[in-house]
Amino acid sequence: MMSRRQFLIGSGAALAGAALVSRAQAASLPEAPVLEKAATQPPLIPPNGRPYQPVVTLNGWTLPWRMKAGWKEFHLIAEPVRREIAPGMTANLWGYNGQSPGPTIECVEGDKVRIFVTNKLPEHTTIHWHGVLLPNGMDGVGGLTQPHIPAGRTYVYEFVMKHSGTFMYHPHSDEMVQMAMGMMGFIVVHPKDPDRYRVDRDFVFLINAFDIEPGSFTPRVNTMLDFNTWCWNSRVFPGIDPLVVRMGDRVRIRMGNLTMTNHPIHIHGHRFSVTCTDGGWVPQSARWPETTVDMPIGSLRAVEFTADAPGDWAFHCHKSHHVMNAMGHGVPTMIGVDQRGVAEKINRLLPDYMAMGERGMAEMGEMEMPLPDNTLPMMSGQGPFGPLEMGGMFTVVKIRQGLARDDYNDPGWYRHPEGTVAREWAGEEK
Amino acid sequence: MVLAIALGVTVSGGCATFSRDAGFGTVERLAGERLDKDVKWQRSDDDHGSVRSAVKEFLSSPLSIDNAVQVALLNNPGLQATYSELGIAEAELVQAGRVTNPHFSYRRTSEGGERKIEWALTFPLVDLLTMPLRTRIEGRRFEQVKLAVAGRMLDVAAAARKSWIEAVAAEERVRYLEQAMLAAEASAELADRMERAGNLNRLDRMREEAFRSGMSARLSDARREAVTDRERLTRMMGLSGSDIAFRLPGRLPELPADKADLGELEARAMTGRLDVRAAALETERLAESLGLTRATRFVDVLELGPAATKEDPAPWKRGFEVSLQLPVFDWGSARVSRAEAIYMQALHRVAETSVNAGSEVRNAWSAYGSAYDVAKRYRDEILPLRKRIAEENMLRYNGMLIGVFELLIDAREQVEASIAGMDALRDFWISEANLQAAFNGPQGANP
Ligand SMILES: [Cu+2]
Repeated sequence: MMSRRQFLIGSGAALAGAALVSRAQAASLPEAPVLEKAATQPPLIPPNGRPYQPVVTLNGWTLPWRMKAGWKEFHLIAEPVRREIAPGMTANLWGYNGQSPGPTIECVEGDKVRIFVTNKLPEHTTIHWHGVLLPNGMDGVGGLTQPHIPAGRTYVYEFVMKHSGTFMYHPHSDEMVQMAMGMMGFIVVHPKDPDRYRVDRDFVFLINAFDIEPGSFTPRVNTMLDFNTWCWNSRVFPGIDPLVVRMGDRVRIRMGNLTMTNHPIHIHGHRFSVTCTDGGWVPQSARWPETTVDMPIGSLRAVEFTADAPGDWAFHCHKSHHVMNAMGHGVPTMIGVDQRGVAEKINRLLPDYMAMGERGMAEMGEMEMPLPDNTLPMMSGQGPFGPLEMGGMFTVVKIRQGLARDDYNDPGWYRHPEGTVAREWAGEEK
Repeated sequence: MVLAIALGVTVSGGCATFSRDAGFGTVERLAGERLDKDVKWQRSDDDHGSVRSAVKEFLSSPLSIDNAVQVALLNNPGLQATYSELGIAEAELVQAGRVTNPHFSYRRTSEGGERKIEWALTFPLVDLLTMPLRTRIEGRRFEQVKLAVAGRMLDVAAAARKSWIEAVAAEERVRYLEQAMLAAEASAELADRMERAGNLNRLDRMREEAFRSGMSARLSDARREAVTDRERLTRMMGLSGSDIAFRLPGRLPELPADKADLGELEARAMTGRLDVRAAALETERLAESLGLTRATRFVDVLELGPAATKEDPAPWKRGFEVSLQLPVFDWGSARVSRAEAIYMQALHRVAETSVNAGSEVRNAWSAYGSAYDVAKRYRDEILPLRKRIAEENMLRYNGMLIGVFELLIDAREQVEASIAGMDALRDFWISEANLQAAFNGPQGANP
C-alpha cells in the first residue's frame, strides 16, 4: 500500500506533493493533496475565488485548489488506490488523489479552471468532463479530441465553467476497465449568485458498482451486469455515512450513475423533486413530486426536499438486490424444505454445516458466521430495534431538531416520542 | 590291501551325518537378520501348540503389519511344507556320503560229478574314490536348498506384508466411500425434499438420484474388493475357523519422516541377495561336478572286490574280481563337454543374476523414492489444501455465496482426494515391500 499523509480539510491542510512529478514540473504545478480515510469530510469553505455554498461529498471530500492569475488550478493524480468499501472490506481500485471516487471538484459559474492531470496509472488515460460545455479539444475523449495521456505524464485541461449545475468526470480511455476499477469523480458548478438555487445542505455522491469475488480485493473488470458490490461513492452499507440534516433544512442530494444499470433511488418520509440534471436546472414548472427517482445509466440527478419530518429515514436503491452485499445468485431456494435428518447426515461430513434458508434468509442478518476474507455479510447492520438486514446502496437520512448549521456529525439513533413506534397489538386498551 | 584302502576311504570320507536342525538354522538366521522375526518349523505337537497360542496372542488386538508377517511366518502351511525340503536335501547329502552296499555273489555249479562254487564280494570302488567329491557336491546342493527355503520364507514374509497393506487400504477405502455415499445420500434426499417443496425440478432431482445410485454401486464394488484382499491375507497367515475374525487397524502406517537411506545399493544387492549367492553356489557345485566327470570319463563302472573259486576237489582259489566297462564307443568326451557347457552356462547365469540384481534394486529404489514423494505431496500439500478448500467453501456457504449442493460436491471431492492420498500411501508401502524384496532377490526357484 502507498504511504500517504492524511489530508484533513478544515484543520489546516496537510498537503502531500505528487512524488512522480519532476522538480521542474513541480515548481509550476499546484499541490495534489491526497486523502487516506473514507469518512465523509466536512464541506470545504472556499478560501478564495468567488464565494459559494459548498457541498458535502458522501464518504468523500472536495479537492482544494489554488488561484493563479485568475485561473482556478486543480491537480488530479490518476493512480491505483486502496479503498475501504465498508469496515471489513478493502478493494484495490484505481482513482484520483488517494481515493475512489476522486475528490469532488467545486467551482463557480464563470470560473476559468485549469486542471492538471498526472497519470500514475500503469496505462494511458484521459478525463472527460461529463455534462460540462467546453471547447471540443478539452472534452477528454482519447484519440478523438486529444492524445491519450501516457503513463507518467501530466496534461492540462483549460476551460471556463459556463453553466452552473451537476456534472462528473471519468476517463474516456480504456474506459470500461478504468471505470470498472473506480475512476470517477463529481463536479459541482455553483451559480454565480450564491443565493440562487440555494439550499442548506447539499450532498453529492456517485453510484458505482464493482464485481469483487469474495475473498479477493480487485474488481473483475470484465463483468457486464452481474455485479456484487453496489456502492455509493465506492462504499456499501453499513459503510455509507448517514445524511445528517437539521430539521427544516432545505436539502439537495446530487447523484450520478456510472454503473451499467438504472437505480430507482427512494426516500422515506418525504417527497422530493428533481431540480437539476447533467443537462442543467429543471424549471420550476417542470418539476413533479416523487419519492423515487430513477437514475438512468450515465446521468446525473439532483433532488430537493424540505426536511420537515424528524427521524431516521431510510434512503436506498429500490432494486432489492442492490441493497445486498455479495451473495450467490445460484444458491438454491430452501424455503419450505425440511432439512431435519439430512442436516445431521451432512454434519457427520461437515461438522460446521448449518441448515439455512428454510425459513427465508433473515437469519443472515442475525447470525455472525465466519466468512471468506475481505467479504462483507450479504446483509447486516444493527439498528436500535434489531438487525437492519441491509447492504449495498442503503443509508439513513437523519433529521434532527436543533443541529448547528454546519454540523454533520452523526447524532445517533432517533428517539421516538412515546407511543409513535409500531407495537405489538395487545388487545383493546382500557 | 585294496580292500583296506577302500574301507579306509569309507571311514574317513563318508563324514556326512544328519544335523540336529536339518539346516533350519540358516532360515532362522535370515528371518532374524532381515525381518527381525521368529520362524518355527512345526515338527511336533509341542511345536504346533506353541505356534497356536502365539498366533492367538497376535490376533487378540488389531493386527499390525509386523504381527501379520510374524503370524504368516509361524503359520503359513505352504512354508511349513517347504521346510521339509531341508530334510530331503539333507538326507541326500547324507546318502552321498555312503558307499553303495557291497555286492556279494555266489555261484554253485555241478557238472557231472564236478561241483564248482564261486563267490565274490565286490565294492563299488568308484563310489569310494569319488565319495569326497560327491559329498562336497551334495553339501553345496544342501546349501542351495537352505538358501531356497530361506528365500521362500522371505517370499512369504513379503507377500504377507503386501497382503496386509492391500487389506488395510481396501477397508480404509470402503470407509472413505461410505463418507462419499453419505454426501450423495444427503444430496439426493435434499433434492427429493426440494422437489416435493416445489423448489427443484425433476431433472435436477434425478441427477442427484443417479449420482447416489452410482456411488452405491461403487461402494459395493469396494466392499467386494476388501473381502478379496482380506481373504488373501487370511491365506497368507494360514488362518481358519474363529481366527479369521482378526481385526485390522483403521489406517495404514504413517509415511516415515524421511526416505530410507540405503547407501551403496548395488553392493548391498551383491552381498545380500540370496539369488546371487545361490547362483555362485551353483557354479561351485558345477565346477566340482565337472571335475568329477573328468575323473570318471573313462570309467563308468569300476567295481572291485575279493573273489574266490573252488573247484572240487581242488582247494579254494583266491583273488580279486575287477569288472570294468570300457568306453569303446563312448570315450566320455561328450559328457565332459556337456558338463563344461553346463558350467559355462552357470557362469553366465551368475553374471546375469548379478546384473539383474543391480538393475532390480535400482529400479525398486527409484519406485520407492517416487512413491514416497507422491505420498508426501499428498500428505503435506494436496490433503491440507483440500481441507482448506473445504473450510473456504464452508465460509462461502455461511455467506450464502454458494449453496448446500456445492458444499456436498466439495465434500465428495475431498473424499476422493483422501482416497487418492490413501492410495499413494498404500503404493508407498508396497514399493517399500518391493524394495526389501529386491534386496533379497526373486525367490521360489528350485535349486
Ligand atoms: Cu440500484
